[in-house]
Amino acid sequence: MELLNDIKNVFLPEFIITLFALLALILSFSLKKEHQNLIFFTSVAGVIFALYSLMLMGVSIEQQGFYESFVSNNFTAAFRVIILIGTGFTLFLSKDYIASFGKSIGEFYFLLLTATLGGMILCGANDLVAVFIGLETLSISSFALCGYTKSDILSNEAALKYLIFGAVASAIMLYGFSFLYGITGETNFTFIASFIQNYNFNSLLMIAFLMILAGFGFKISAVPFQAWTPDVYQGAPIPVAAYLSVVSKTAGFAALIRFVDIIFVESTLFAITLGVIAVITMTVGNLMALDQQNIRRLLAYSSIAHAGYILLGLAIMTNDGITAIIFYLITYLFMNFGVWAGIELFALATGKDNIDDLNGLAYKHRYFAFGLVICILSLAGIPITAGFFSKFYLFKAVISAGYEYTPLLVIALINTVVAIFYYMRVIKAIYVMPDEEVRSADIFRISFPVRLVMLISVVGALILGIFASPFIEKAKTVNISGIETILP
Amino acid sequence: MSFLSLTLLIFLPLAGALIIYGPWFPQNEVKIRRFAKGFAGFIFVYSLLFLAFFNPTEKGFQFTETLTFPDGSPWIEPLGVNFSLAVDGISIILVVLTTFLVLLGLIASKFSITKRHKFYYSMIFVLQTAILGVFTAKDLFLFILFWEIELIPMYFLISVWGTGKKEYSAMKFVLYTFTGSIFMLASILAVVYYNYIQTGIWTFDLNTYTYMKAFTYPTLFGILTFLGFFIAFAVKLPVVPFHTWLPDAHVDAPTPVSMLLAGMLLKMGGYGMIRMNLQMMPEILKILSPLIVIFAVINIIYAALIAIAQKDLKKLVAYSSVSHMGIVLLGIGAMNIAGVSGAVFQMVAHGIISAGLFMIVGVIYLRTHTREIAELGGLGQNAPKIMYFSMIIALASLGLPLLIGFAAETLTFYGAFTSNVFNGFYILNQYIPLSIRLLTAIAIIGIIFAAIYILWMFHRVFWGNMFDKWEKFHDASPHEMVVLISLIFVIVVFGVYPAGLINIFAPTISSFMNLI
Repeated sequence: MELLNDIKNVFLPEFIITLFALLALILSFSLKKEHQNLIFFTSVAGVIFALYSLMLMGVSIEQQGFYESFVSNNFTAAFRVIILIGTGFTLFLSKDYIASFGKSIGEFYFLLLTATLGGMILCGANDLVAVFIGLETLSISSFALCGYTKSDILSNEAALKYLIFGAVASAIMLYGFSFLYGITGETNFTFIASFIQNYNFNSLLMIAFLMILAGFGFKISAVPFQAWTPDVYQGAPIPVAAYLSVVSKTAGFAALIRFVDIIFVESTLFAITLGVIAVITMTVGNLMALDQQNIRRLLAYSSIAHAGYILLGLAIMTNDGITAIIFYLITYLFMNFGVWAGIELFALATGKDNIDDLNGLAYKHRYFAFGLVICILSLAGIPITAGFFSKFYLFKAVISAGYEYTPLLVIALINTVVAIFYYMRVIKAIYVMPDEEVRSADIFRISFPVRLVMLISVVGALILGIFASPFIEKAKTVNISGIETILP
Repeated sequence: MSFLSLTLLIFLPLAGALIIYGPWFPQNEVKIRRFAKGFAGFIFVYSLLFLAFFNPTEKGFQFTETLTFPDGSPWIEPLGVNFSLAVDGISIILVVLTTFLVLLGLIASKFSITKRHKFYYSMIFVLQTAILGVFTAKDLFLFILFWEIELIPMYFLISVWGTGKKEYSAMKFVLYTFTGSIFMLASILAVVYYNYIQTGIWTFDLNTYTYMKAFTYPTLFGILTFLGFFIAFAVKLPVVPFHTWLPDAHVDAPTPVSMLLAGMLLKMGGYGMIRMNLQMMPEILKILSPLIVIFAVINIIYAALIAIAQKDLKKLVAYSSVSHMGIVLLGIGAMNIAGVSGAVFQMVAHGIISAGLFMIVGVIYLRTHTREIAELGGLGQNAPKIMYFSMIIALASLGLPLLIGFAAETLTFYGAFTSNVFNGFYILNQYIPLSIRLLTAIAIIGIIFAAIYILWMFHRVFWGNMFDKWEKFHDASPHEMVVLISLIFVIVVFGVYPAGLINIFAPTISSFMNLI
């Protein structure tokens, strides 16, 4: 009975996703090949039900379940919504892309839903063990998803690299957990936090922090754990790359934020470490992106840079920073999926993914090019798109944390200038360069679901830009358990 | 005046852009251009109405307009950002200048734009929205928002329809301006946060920081934020170490875009400097005015000297632009009513004159396909109309009395010469007589250089022996005549009767200079 209560109170969306993942698996071996499309609709239904159940669940007050190893409040709800919407987008992106490979469609949706489940568990995990379970569920499904297009060498390389990196990162993080357990004798966040409050800071805690950071740094592709990103984004199926760049990253941030704000708040050394990692991450991402020829690699480095900006919001350790992060992730969801959808449309039509291949795109596909450019401008942070507002709010949060954070702000601002250079390169290819060859296929005729994702993303990137206010207000109401008492 | 809505004014061009770019509009080049011209003409007339109903003697902002959500909450409540627009004497004149130049630029586009017409005309309109937005923003956030929006249409206008190393120049323009604008962003955040610490209100409202300023900034903080603003506007103005984007962008841009670039975009720098550096932090400007004035003198002299050495006609005009914008900087550095009025007057004068000069360069380039001064000569023989029009504009540029340039320069130099903002320094007990008077006297030498490069250029291009290859150089076509005559009309009218212009913005300037 208590189990049912727990599920009803804190675990309902995850439970629904689990059910539908299993349903997808069952359908995949019981349906005939020509009916396999049904699995797609099943998975979409699962995501929609999960979103709906999240709305039904009262998230305004914090609730705990499963012996306090899982919490549900409006902070985790915000991240779960982002993850679910991102998963929905990925499903739409996958439909035609996966069908074109022709075999075992069901597995893909099963793995995708399982990964989503892992990500959602990661958001709400309140126990070291639950964190690890969530992380591994997400990671292992992602490894398999990366290598989904078996015949593609790049896809295999991506899966293997991701697997090795992921395994090492998990191991390091687990070792960090053991330190934390050794210090406190507890695995539950709440107990650990109350223990550490009365605990003198020492190097043991710092070691635990750094090791845990390695695990999450891998998930959010922060420097120095970013090396897998370009290869995986280039090799993995495009929907999976989009998934990794948004959903997986969001889940990683959710867990990292909870970790930092519940357990590692005592010493400014943690904040300094995060700040340093943030600025190094964004700088490395932006500098490496400058000379990329492949648009997927470029997006990989751009996503590293964005991870740096988002980490900045965490490094300042204020509630305003958390609000900025949530708003940033919402906008990032739309603008990044928009670009990935555009790349997928282009790849489906032409099979190419270099920046030069985009030359003269605007001549033939005016509206497609326009949408893609809106999303790219949003990533670059040019008004009146969403990206400008999220960056502005983030910088506002950084400066209102105090003038001592000005160096971080200055580095971040310089980074936005560096970033505009490579985004403009893509725009230049699309709009300025002459059309060298006639495009083989008409983009407007193929793959309705992908076009739909692109449309929603472009509209989202514009709407979030013009009417940012309600979304920021919503993000402002979010708070993490325990954070109010400690942070200003 | 309820029918006069600034929001409508700044979004009209955007609506025009949407109308042109949409699938409903025919691809026909002539129809697109006619519609664009008509639309720009309508916007110009509409902006003239603002001027007509503008009350110069009223202090502070007029036509203030704040858009809110239906429930009365501001645009971005969590940030304290209001969508509020307003004009005062300085901005109204620049708004009208903008709409006027866009109209002329569109008329001038007939022969220089030969491809992708829909995209071109919609980009011009987007650019116009952005620039009008900068001039009318009454909110610091809106200001920087429009400031950055302007980058994208300008990038396309240079890189798609330009000539030569157009992509390089366009990228350089974007990177320079964007670098400047992040300095401004940092400074805006800094002053807003300072205000928040002092008063507990998080607001971007311009009035709080200018007309109703309640506090002075601490010196070090003030100097840093001042420099942040200054770099942003110095890139745009441009001030000499930050000017290298300008010759590239001007030379590679098509003629109408050069006209708009020189006529409106450079004014954004001057306008921003008056708004932010002068109005927001006069106490810091007072400290740093020697620096500003020295920059101005370098600007005037250095750019003029470089202009003399140019072999390329368009580069010469571009450097003359830099030199003339130095006069704006000098007027701001003088920090008195005459100086600042002169700066604003010079912005308008330069907007008209440089647009005219670039138009002439475009007219010549269209016929000869070269901008090398050495290859031209004797063009006046076949084209007397072009020659005489050019003569008037060129003479206005070097500051001949009864033309608009003279009034502007005289007023600025008078202001700078009578200014008491600094009168020399003591360094190690050694008196250094580096007063603003001395520096102004040096700057006036720049006028002589201007005469040299303008007259010499005119001489080499229009007089002398004609090359045989320019036998078929034909005179101005009707639409070129329209552009040039309109510009000359303004040059002569406000040259003969400068008070007509000064009366619009001088009361605004005296009201805030008295506050200082």
